[in-house]
Amino acid sequence: MKDAHLDGAPPERARGGRPELTNAALGAAGLAGFLALCEAVPRLGIVSAEYFPPVSRIADALVGELGDGAFWTALGDTLTGWALGLAIAVTAGVLAGVVISVVPYLREATASTIEFLRPIPSVALIPLAVLLYGTELRSVLLLVVYASFWQVLLQTLYGVRDVDPVAEETARSYGLGTWARVRHVLWPTALPYVMTGVRLAAAVALILAVTAELVIGAPGLGARIAVAQTSQAVPEMYALVVVTGVLGLLINVGARTVERRALAWHQSVRGEVAV
Amino acid sequence: MRRLLAGLAAGTVLAAVPACGSSSGSSEPEDKGSGGVTTVKVGIIPIVDVAPLYLGEKKGFFKERGLKLSLSPAQGGAAIVPGVVSGQFQFGFSNVTSLMVAQSNGVPVKAVVNGASSSGVEGEDFGGLMVKKGSPIKTPKELEGRRVAVNTLKNINELAVRNSVRQDGGDPDEVELVELAFDQMPAALEDGQVDAAMVVEPALATIKAQGGTEIASPLVDIADKLTVAMYFTSEKYAQQNPELVKRFQEATAESLAHADAHPDEVREIVTTYTKIPEATLEQVTLPKWPAQANRSSIMDLLKLGHEDGLFKRSPDLDALLP
Repeated sequence: MKDAHLDGAPPERARGGRPELTNAALGAAGLAGFLALCEAVPRLGIVSAEYFPPVSRIADALVGELGDGAFWTALGDTLTGWALGLAIAVTAGVLAGVVISVVPYLREATASTIEFLRPIPSVALIPLAVLLYGTELRSVLLLVVYASFWQVLLQTLYGVRDVDPVAEETARSYGLGTWARVRHVLWPTALPYVMTGVRLAAAVALILAVTAELVIGAPGLGARIAVAQTSQAVPEMYALVVVTGVLGLLINVGARTVERRALAWHQSVRGEVAV
Repeated sequence: MRRLLAGLAAGTVLAAVPACGSSSGSSEPEDKGSGGVTTVKVGIIPIVDVAPLYLGEKKGFFKERGLKLSLSPAQGGAAIVPGVVSGQFQFGFSNVTSLMVAQSNGVPVKAVVNGASSSGVEGEDFGGLMVKKGSPIKTPKELEGRRVAVNTLKNINELAVRNSVRQDGGDPDEVELVELAFDQMPAALEDGQVDAAMVVEPALATIKAQGGTEIASPLVDIADKLTVAMYFTSEKYAQQNPELVKRFQEATAESLAHADAHPDEVREIVTTYTKIPEATLEQVTLPKWPAQANRSSIMDLLKLGHEDGLFKRSPDLDALLP
């Protein structure tokens, strides 16, 4: 199931004439092998087919899901929670990161608080979310935003710290104001870090959206998984789990595309493209 | 790049606005909708037990009384009780032991109408203490030194299992109880991770289909026609809206009676909010839905709770029950 593009490793250039084709073929072969294994394990009786159905039965159930309107509503609910949560987290994370970095002494004053709040697992806030918002979308948002905010904030902080002092001093001596320096010196330096933060946050946001639905019961794919679980509908449950996996894959690919486009000017990306 | 980022930023701001905007109003208890119909939000668990509400809404029992139900599936009482107390839900579904524990801890809950009851018939209840096919264990007493799965420790099913062992002449303290979700019990039992499981429908039907044997009906052992679960509201909501609560009580009572008399309609409506496979659903034993809660059975449950040290302070049944 491994694909060099998703792993963060740069595409291998040296091997063979058409590395992308080789990679795609290898990826497909790996996936086929994995599916064959999942089909074989229950069929051979290594695990009970009752509780881990073969791939073919899961595929059947998946087709059934895809033909059900309620499934698409649930998918929409999950994606709404993910997208809204991510958008809020990214906006808040970048703004907070820049402000904390630019205002003197603020970074020192907030460092310990951030380090205290950051490791708190979002899932531990479920009782709070339910108390405040019941089982609605807003409970999901609370958890999603809490988990993904720190990813963006920390990356922004690191990014700003990376600003070249010479460039900063040069900008100062040319009389650039605070806003202009943020815009022309700080932001281009921080952007690659920020984009990494966004990509990490996108994955975390999906995990938390599904988890929140699963545990709280807010409408979405997670709640549908929970209903399938309590209903003893095992193939349907795995079919929905597969959907969340595919969703994660697509989100990762999408985030990488956005990252690559936003950083097209940056040497890390330019180097990759110039094969 | 600049345009892309500007677009992203603008999008995030726009997206954030409705998220904040929608936060007002929904927690107000009395949303008078169109035509004098009040929408009440009910926190439920998507299981067979709550079928009467779905059926009653469909049959118009609530509409007749100016109510519209908005049923919010939640995962268990852990999400429902805080939701009701904070006013996110006007009503909720919970087992009676959880309500008593909540009340003894000072959580202001007020039961309003019956939810679901055991059948009162040994071996034909919606919950059972099951062992796997070919297990040497034949009676609850033989569970001493064995591992038994219950869905939640220190709650109704633990009380029930301990009571059945005690009634059979065994020592409940010798039984090792482990916590496991109902839906995972069939696999755990089959796999030998637990020696017995206190399980309810539809997992009960799954275990029976695998050839499992019922060695006791613990909910029946507690009391005849035990009231297992009830619908409840918060004390504050009950005080502020006595008339509405009364209408909910009446409509629910009518729904319960209808469900009890029409099991076929129940099995049909269950398919609309669960995913229980057809073959399993046919085998599922339905709970009983008497319109009135069985107070004496609740007192038996209270006594068991005291024996097993569930309550810090004694729950006040007069204040809790309708």
